[in-house]
Amino acid sequence: MTGKASPESIFTWVCEILKREFQISDAEISPTAHLIDDLDLDSIDAIDLSVRLEEKTGLSFKEEDLKAIRTIQDVVDFIAERLD
Amino acid sequence: MRFTVACYRVFGRNVALALIHLVVAYFFLTDRAGRRASLAYLRRVYATQAGRSALGRAPGWHTSFLHYRAFALSIADRVELWLGRAGDFHFESHGSEICDRFAAEGRGYIVLGSHLGSFDALRLLAQRQQRCVNVLMFTRHAQQINRLFRELSPDAEARVIEIAPDSVRAIFEIRDRLRAGELIAVLGDRMEPGDRGRASQVQLLGDSVSLPQAPFLIAGLLGCPVVFMTALRSRARRYEVHVELLAERVELPRHEREKRVGELLAAYAGRLEHHCVRAPYQWFNFYDYWADASSAEGVE
Repeated sequence: MTGKASPESIFTWVCEILKREFQISDAEISPTAHLIDDLDLDSIDAIDLSVRLEEKTGLSFKEEDLKAIRTIQDVVDFIAERLD
Repeated sequence: MRFTVACYRVFGRNVALALIHLVVAYFFLTDRAGRRASLAYLRRVYATQAGRSALGRAPGWHTSFLHYRAFALSIADRVELWLGRAGDFHFESHGSEICDRFAAEGRGYIVLGSHLGSFDALRLLAQRQQRCVNVLMFTRHAQQINRLFRELSPDAEARVIEIAPDSVRAIFEIRDRLRAGELIAVLGDRMEPGDRGRASQVQLLGDSVSLPQAPFLIAGLLGCPVVFMTALRSRARRYEVHVELLAERVELPRHEREKRVGELLAAYAGRLEHHCVRAPYQWFNFYDYWADASSAEGVE
């Protein structure tokens, strides 16, 4: 993924990945949805998500990054900041 | 390890072999818990039909000593392999076409080994295909081990990747290695301290044991094949290598993950048992392997 992406478009495809790969329903998705508490992702899912996001964005995720990410919005912000 | 290697270099095979036997005899005589574990294991083997004919006699001191002795012989062979004397060894492989196919396709794969037989023979297989082997270990000593590897056999294409269960960094490294068509080797028959209880209960030799899910979880994350491998010593410097496909591509849908990993681990345990009862003395887990089954029923 190259060039600038708006936070809105990042939000859209992060949600697409969550729906397609993690069977999260539309109703569960919102920027403030907590990945673990609300979406029921576990540590393996978190790694799975980071592998997929890395493939899409070319960004690399570190353990500290994953620990800091709690909500869908955190994921979007993380990517938006680094793709700038 | 360094001591054994030094013995070999200084005294040659026969003296080193005698020394190794002495050490093993010492352990056999003094290690009561190990001996008891060996006997309990041999009884499980004897309870199976194939195991009974492989052992030929009811388990006792004698069979237990043979069990320890097999361990000594395997260490001796290992040292020789490490010293780069692979040319003196004969490997008869069964099923390694799978590896040839993956190599031709440029696909990396996970090799799931065990403490049955020799896992070192794997390096030979990899060398033949000119592939690098990456050994996954729950260790903080990866760097030292890598250094020892290089010292012992500078040409060998082997390295250790240190894994921690939820570690992202290791996953990316494993993925890159697989993409380069390399092998990822990991032992699947023991829970390691770092596994933090991600385990499945499966049947092995009559009772349930906990096996680590990590190898299949990794394969599921990266969508790669997994093969079972064991190399059994038939006589001095001769090994039969068995390679069997466990999964062409591991896929773990989120809501079925536990179930699927459990099935894959059961298949692995099935292959392990199949080979174990045919070469019973080469099972190198000298501790109460079925402890879970006898004490902690139902505990995670």
